[in-house]
Amino acid sequence: MTAICPIVFATIKEFIRRKDFYVLLILFCVLLTISSMQNFFQIENVSRYVRDVGYSLTVFFSFLIAVTVSAGQLPREIENKTVYPLLAKPISRRMVVFSKFCASAAVSVLSFLLFFIAFLAFDVMKTGGLNPLLFAQAAIFGTLFLCMVCAFVIFLSTFMTFAANITVSILTYLFITGFSDSLRDFSIYTKGAAAICSEIVYYLIPHFDFFNIRIRLTHEWGTLPLWVIASVGAYTVTYSFFLLYFAGVIFGRKKL
Amino acid sequence: MEQILSVKNLSYTYKAGRVNVKALDDLDLEICRGEIFGFIGPNGAGKTTTIKLILNILPLQNGKIKISGEDSSKPKTRLKVGYMPESAVYSRYLTPKELLYMYGRIFGIRKSLLKQRISELLALVDLEKEGSRLIGTFSKGMMQKVSFAQSLINEPSVLILDEPTSGLDPVLRKKMRETILNLRDAGKTIFFSSHELSEVELISDKIGILNKGRLLATGPTKSFMGKKEEGLSLENYFLNLIKEKQ
Repeated sequence: MTAICPIVFATIKEFIRRKDFYVLLILFCVLLTISSMQNFFQIENVSRYVRDVGYSLTVFFSFLIAVTVSAGQLPREIENKTVYPLLAKPISRRMVVFSKFCASAAVSVLSFLLFFIAFLAFDVMKTGGLNPLLFAQAAIFGTLFLCMVCAFVIFLSTFMTFAANITVSILTYLFITGFSDSLRDFSIYTKGAAAICSEIVYYLIPHFDFFNIRIRLTHEWGTLPLWVIASVGAYTVTYSFFLLYFAGVIFGRKKL
Repeated sequence: MEQILSVKNLSYTYKAGRVNVKALDDLDLEICRGEIFGFIGPNGAGKTTTIKLILNILPLQNGKIKISGEDSSKPKTRLKVGYMPESAVYSRYLTPKELLYMYGRIFGIRKSLLKQRISELLALVDLEKEGSRLIGTFSKGMMQKVSFAQSLINEPSVLILDEPTSGLDPVLRKKMRETILNLRDAGKTIFFSSHELSEVELISDKIGILNKGRLLATGPTKSFMGKKEEGLSLENYFLNLIKEKQ
C-alpha cells in the first residue's frame, strides 16, 4: 500500500505541468461565456441553458481527461521501459494496476472539481443563487462517474493500445449515454434469444447513464434521496472492483 | 565467500508466433558478496531475460533463483535489490528529485532520511545542479545518470545493471566505471550485463559468457586474462568461443 501515495502524487505533479488541462479550461470558459451571452440564440431564460451547457461541459471535459490520463498510465510505462524499475521494487503487479487507477482517479476528480468550480462561478453570476445540496450531489455523482471511467479505461489499457483504448472508451460512453434506455426497452418488448442477449448486455455494460443528473440540476427538481446516492456508490465500487480485479489478472500474466 | 545471488537450472521458453523459442537453457550462476559479475553475450543471447527472471518481472518457468538465500519471487526479497534498466525514459514532467522521492517512498524510506539520500545520490551522479530541472530537458547521458541514481535509492546490497554504459560518451563511461568500482569497495554485489567487452574486462571480478541462452563459460576475469597473455584478448576469446559453439 505504501506505493499508492507516491505514484498518485507524482501523477498529479505531471498533470499540473502538462498543458492539456489548461487548454480545456480555457475552452470551457470561452464556451460558457458564449453560451451565457444574453439573447444569443434569442433564448430568454438563459440561466437554465447556461446550467445545462455548463454541467454537460464539466462532465464531458473531465471525462476526456479521465480517458486520456488513464489510457496512458500502463502503456506509457511499458513503452518507456519504466515499468521495469517499478516492478523491480517491492510491489506486486496488481498493486501497480491499483496505484495507476488511484492516480488516474485523483487527477480526473481534481480536474472535475476545478471545472465544477468554474461552472459554479458562471452559474452564480447568471442565476444569483443555487441549491447547494443539489450541487453537492452533482459533484458526488461526477466523482463516482469518473472513478468508474478510470477503472474501465485502466482495464482496457491492459490489452489495448493507447489510441484504440481512447476510441473504444469514447464510443462506449456515447453508446451508453445515448442508447442504454433503448436497449432496456428492447429487452422488455422483445422475446426469445434476442431479449436474453440484450438483457445480458444491458447488465454487463458500465452504466455511465446512472450518473447523469444533468436534467435534475438544470430544472432544479430537488435533491435525490440518500438511498439513490448510496446505491449508485455501491454500484460504482462493485463494478470498479471487478474491472480492476480483471485488469490485475491480465496485467499479472502479461509478458513484459 | 558468502553466496548472495544463485541461479540454478534456469530455463525460459517463449512463443514467437507458433514457434517455441528457448531463451534460456539450464542456466547456473553463482555470485558472491562484494563481487562484480560481468554478464556478456551477443544481442539476443538472453542476458535481459535472465535479469527479468531474477527480478521476477518474468514468471519463473523452470529453475530456482535465490537472493541472499531468499526466493526472488517474494516482493520482500527485492527490498535490498537495485535495478537499472537499459535505456528507460523517465517522465519528462518530473525532476530527478521528485522521481527519486517517488521510488524512495515506494521502498517505504522515511521522508527525512530520503531527502538526505537523494542529495547524496545526486552528488554521486553529478546531477546536484540539475536536481530540480525537468527530466524532459535531459540528454541521454543525464537520463542514464538518473536511472543509475534510482537503482541506488534503497541502498541495495545487490545491484543489477542492464547495459549501464550503453550510449554514454567516454568521459561518462569512465565515471560510471569508477562509481561501480567504488560501490563494490563499499561491499555491494554488482551484476551487470553488457556487450562492451572492454568495459567488462576492466571492472569485472568474474565473467559469464552467454550465447543463445546457454552459459558457454564462467570464471574469474583473471582466468580469461591469462589467455590474453597467450596472445588472446577477451574479445578474441569471446568471438572464438561463440564461433566454436555455433
